[in-house]
Amino acid sequence: MRVQISNGMFMAIIINMVYAKAIGITQGSLAREVGNDMWISTIFSTLQGIMMIVFVTYVIKRTPKMDIFEQSELLLGKIFSKIIALFFFIFFLFAFGGVSATFVYHLKDFFLPDAPLVLFIIAAFIMGVYGIFFGLEVIGRMALIGVFSIIALNVLIILGSLSEFRVEELEPIFESGFLSTLWASRHNDTDWLMATMMAAIILPHVGKQESWGKSGIVGIGLGGLFVVLWPILQTGVLTSEVTAQYFVACMQMARSAHIGLFLHRYELIMVAFFAISALIQIMMTFLCASIAVQRLFGLKDYRPVIVPVALILCGGGYCLVFDHQIAMDFLEKTWIYVALSIGFGVPLLLWLIGFLLKKKFKNTNMEASS
Amino acid sequence: MKHKGIVFLLFTLSLLLTGCAGKRELNELAIVMAVGIDKGEEGNVRVTAQIPRPSDARGQTGAPSGQTGDAIWSVSAEGKTLFEAIRNLGRFSPRRIFWAHNFIIVINEEFAKTGIQDVIDFFTRNPELRMNTWVAVTPDKAVEVVTTITGLEVIPGEAVDKLLRYSAITSQAPRTTMRNLYSSYLSEGSDPVLTRVRLVEKGVSNEDPGKMNVKQVELAGAGVFKKDKLIGILEGDEVRGLIPFIERLESVILSVSCPNDKSENVSLELRHQNFKIIPGYEDGKPTFHVKLVTYSSIAEADCPISLKDKKQVDEMEKELEELLYNDIKKIVDKVKKDYHADILRLGEEFNNKYPSEWKQLKADWKERLQDAKIDIVVDAKIKNSVLLYNPTKSN
Repeated sequence: MRVQISNGMFMAIIINMVYAKAIGITQGSLAREVGNDMWISTIFSTLQGIMMIVFVTYVIKRTPKMDIFEQSELLLGKIFSKIIALFFFIFFLFAFGGVSATFVYHLKDFFLPDAPLVLFIIAAFIMGVYGIFFGLEVIGRMALIGVFSIIALNVLIILGSLSEFRVEELEPIFESGFLSTLWASRHNDTDWLMATMMAAIILPHVGKQESWGKSGIVGIGLGGLFVVLWPILQTGVLTSEVTAQYFVACMQMARSAHIGLFLHRYELIMVAFFAISALIQIMMTFLCASIAVQRLFGLKDYRPVIVPVALILCGGGYCLVFDHQIAMDFLEKTWIYVALSIGFGVPLLLWLIGFLLKKKFKNTNMEASS
Repeated sequence: MKHKGIVFLLFTLSLLLTGCAGKRELNELAIVMAVGIDKGEEGNVRVTAQIPRPSDARGQTGAPSGQTGDAIWSVSAEGKTLFEAIRNLGRFSPRRIFWAHNFIIVINEEFAKTGIQDVIDFFTRNPELRMNTWVAVTPDKAVEVVTTITGLEVIPGEAVDKLLRYSAITSQAPRTTMRNLYSSYLSEGSDPVLTRVRLVEKGVSNEDPGKMNVKQVELAGAGVFKKDKLIGILEGDEVRGLIPFIERLESVILSVSCPNDKSENVSLELRHQNFKIIPGYEDGKPTFHVKLVTYSSIAEADCPISLKDKKQVDEMEKELEELLYNDIKKIVDKVKKDYHADILRLGEEFNNKYPSEWKQLKADWKERLQDAKIDIVVDAKIKNSVLLYNPTKSN
């Protein structure tokens, strides 16, 4: 019997999986590339994310009791399934680069610049491992709290920065051209692909199968709504030029937020809300990478590989975030190649093979129903 | 046994998570409230930090316990770079210099003329500083401005903060923060303009009543920058025309003469103002239509005035329109002819409406701005006489 999570939890996990990196580091990359149009680019990538989740849901729904690895095994056998598992592990290993950069650069650079880097990596390791040891359902419940935190954080940043907001800064629209804005959306696509790749693994755990598609669309739609608020505020308050200067521009805006005269400098409250989303990102990346390794080695449970997988991810994360230049270069180049090729390529490949070998699905589904 | 090992490992690792790493205790911090930046000797930078003495900077209640008589402690140090000078402050300060609560950065004009790129870089790079810190230039020594007790507050930095915060009605200086400075410095379509403050002997000493011999910080116009260098000064009255271009308009007080007696004045409070810049592009040249609509109320009249007398109101409205028109015209002409710097953000406005044309013009925008046709329309309306309906006159 698989662990089951509700469709609400699934939506909450999607939102949390994307939010932390998408509002800060990703927006800096977008601002450097398309300036004022970063919020339009974010909308474009949300729409692509919606299309991708619909596609992944369609692929998984062909064998609703199986996750993507089991479906691969059904289609082309064990070795093919292991190759897919390896791709998934590589994807989440690289994804953890962005996740750890988000976690470390928010907390270390702005709050504890003197604290050693290893402290943050150990914190991520302990909390991530502890979280996934209890499984998907616990993360799902935390994600629901995470969504409320995200809403609270968004409300606080709106209240704290609206007085400085200049709507004229959003103009001109499509300053960098339609195609450039669309192309820049690849930065945020990588965030959404983390959600869709995760969905390919956890969808069979989601309760109501008939609403998978709807839940995915709503999850990404709501996530996009929560995320797009930030580039709009960053452009209107900080300006895109200032946003482009920073690794984590959202923190710079949060630090200057104030509600009236008396309530200011409340960034620690905001970062506490933010941290839940960042932790869920860490947990889900660990979980997905662990499941991929479990399938790669044909194990019955993912728990025995949690610690080694987390160690590998944390080791990679440490090496990456140690040097800001390497980290940004990785996030703006290498990670995009990896994320787009695996994130789009693997579901597409499976769909294509499944399309050619339709009979296997029919037989399996008939056996399951009988 | 296996579980014991895990518990031991977690317990050991959790010692690293006690929150002590990078801790800064409050009683170990020298909290900077204002910073002054001057030219030092031999091309050095001089940094002055105003730091409150915790024992003497009392709050609303209670008396000072430090008994030094000074609520603030000011330290100054020099260095080849801003950071070196700041680091050298550590030679005098027994506590760690902490910037997070800094209210204002005051830059001496002589220093600003050589460029403030280093100031912008340091204060936007530093994780302790907020971007809503005020930034101002001064013709006086910044060290003097920063160390002068001014206003009602015990801490001068706080006094200047409030001076800027509540100064909109005087229209004597723009209110610029590090965020404004940084964004206009980075922008292709605008140049920075900064608040200007100076020391004036306008405070009246309690020990020597009747004499204004106590130095106070006064708002004194604006510093005009081209990129990061100070290139000119706008005096207080000249700033009135600049403010609509760069700030959200708030209430302003202006005086016009009485319609029936030109020797007397009527004070008008401009309560609601609507300012628009409509860019155009004609024959390869940018054009700007600047429109200001104001709604005023009569704040004080030295002569009998009532809104019932339409002729009088029309006359005052006309004079107010002329006054506002001249303010805007003066600043527009000055920017075009004298400064060749776009402190009015016209480049940004043009870019918003004509992005493709902007790409062609932006390389030599400052020259293009000189040829730009800028027409100004002011529509002033007096619609409110506050509480009085009838004119104030003896029967």
